[in-house]
Amino acid sequence: MNKPLHDNTATMIEMIKVSKGYPPDVVALKDVSVSIDSGEMFFIIGMSGAGKTTLLKLLCSMELPSTGLIEIGGQAIHTLKGFKLARLRQKIGVAYQDFKLLTDRTAAENIAISMEVSYKKPQIIKNRVRNLLEQLDLADKHDTITGELSRGEQQRITLARAIANSPTMILVDEPTGNLDATTTERVMRLLTNCNKAGATIVIATHDQSIYRHTSHRVMELRKGQLHSVARGTSR
Amino acid sequence: MSFWFTVIRQVGRNLRMTWGSQLMTLLTVSLSVLIFAFFYLIYTNMLNLGHKLGDDLSLIVYLEEEPGPELQQQLINKINTFDEVEEVRFVSRAEAFQRFADQLGKNQDVLNEMPRDFLPPSIEVLPMKNLRSLNQVKLFSAYLARLPGTIKVQYGQDWVERFYYFTKLLSIVVLLSGTLLIMTTIFMVAYTIRLTILGRQAELELLKLVGATNNYIRTPFLLEGLLQGLLGSSLGIAQLYILYQWIKLRFSGPGFLNVFELSFFPPSVSLTIIGVSILLCTMGSYSTMQKFLRI
Ligand SMILES: Nc1ncnc2c1ncn2[C@@H]1O[C@H](COP(=O)(O)OP(=O)(O)OP(=O)(O)O)[C@@H](O)[C@H]1O
Ligand SMILES: [Mg+2]
Repeated sequence: MNKPLHDNTATMIEMIKVSKGYPPDVVALKDVSVSIDSGEMFFIIGMSGAGKTTLLKLLCSMELPSTGLIEIGGQAIHTLKGFKLARLRQKIGVAYQDFKLLTDRTAAENIAISMEVSYKKPQIIKNRVRNLLEQLDLADKHDTITGELSRGEQQRITLARAIANSPTMILVDEPTGNLDATTTERVMRLLTNCNKAGATIVIATHDQSIYRHTSHRVMELRKGQLHSVARGTSR
Repeated sequence: MSFWFTVIRQVGRNLRMTWGSQLMTLLTVSLSVLIFAFFYLIYTNMLNLGHKLGDDLSLIVYLEEEPGPELQQQLINKINTFDEVEEVRFVSRAEAFQRFADQLGKNQDVLNEMPRDFLPPSIEVLPMKNLRSLNQVKLFSAYLARLPGTIKVQYGQDWVERFYYFTKLLSIVVLLSGTLLIMTTIFMVAYTIRLTILGRQAELELLKLVGATNNYIRTPFLLEGLLQGLLGSSLGIAQLYILYQWIKLRFSGPGFLNVFELSFFPPSVSLTIIGVSILLCTMGSYSTMQKFLRI
């Protein structure tokens, strides 16, 4: 039975005993079980190489788990193919750690891609792109080729692309790695707004400043295994 | 609406990115269409000419004696066992004399001295008006010469026969150039599309990640193949038409080519050539996508 993605009370992400190995013998994740509610903001922390990125890749079905079950909005993700998988991915916005920007296209074109694939009207796309660039303090980079931007700017473009299509689930990998305190705050405000609008958000990060004072749940991974899930100490 | 807008913009992007090889492909497609259509046009005109020559082509079998009705039937049967024929006509001595007299017109009084049966009776055989039976006119005449009671078989000039050999050769050339057309269109289109796909590997990868459907990714490439086919073949046909008009203009007036009327393809044939080219090019792009777009 498929629950609708926007059901607020439902579980958005269900992971049961999920493991992921890479050939020849790398164990990136081992027996991770966690469930994340719809509309929740969720942090994943852990040392470099702990498996944070791997977990996010599994959630957006960029990779398939070696064993275990992953359900998104009630749908077992490994069973989806073709059109259904595409539709699900349209509902998931991902800001990749390595950005995956098209470096020969402008900032605006990069952001627009995620809306174009769901055939949004050109006018709507245009407005949304301007609005996002404004919120991320990048209004003057609208027509700049992304290859010429600084890493911090590229990072924000990636984030803008992830949230542009108003997805129900947003996966963010190191959103603030290259940013100063003020810009970090801007980024977090944007994500918080998305969360308030109903999106489920999963953030993988090393950046203590963004999860230290949070009231949301924080999961720590150690060497691919779930070490702890704790509710953050609310300020 | 939005779908086609996006698709068309994507096609525009592809064309801009690889316009050099796109142009090459377009020219190759149009050239191979031109070559094929050129030979095919000559061939159809030759067939037309052949049809007209066929009107004049009859075999005349001169007989020793006038055949009675029963012998006539036997001869007809014999002729039909070799090949189906358009018509068999018996000409008696008297008829032959009358015809000859008619041909002489005013001068027919020279015949006054002649006996009315000095001309031999004959059979006029009109072969079917198709290439096959016309091709074997020589064999046919040899066969007729062997029928009992024949003196001699006469038929149209030697060059008629050579003409049909030429037509036959031409049909092979048409087949070959048709094969060439199929190969070049499919391979060239497949090649350029492969180039585009490889050049946009990163983008296609990303498109899949942000949830582009297969249609979203494929349609621009299919459209690109379709455009190549449409433009390339139309260009080829247009070039041929210009060439045709030029030849007509150059060689009109008294001369050899006036013997028969040159004619261009009817629109249906041109449209068929264009349609087939479109189909081939689209197939070329589809097969490349199957190979290089793992979706
Ligand atoms: N494609 C791959 N092939 C082989 N091993 C991989 C692959 N991707 C990740 N790994 C390994 O899996 C482990 C977890 O990697 P992952 O990228 O998930 O770590 P991370 O927590 O995101 O680290 P960081 O904080 O540095 O981004 C690492 O040991 C890594 O070397
Ligand atoms: Mg990582």
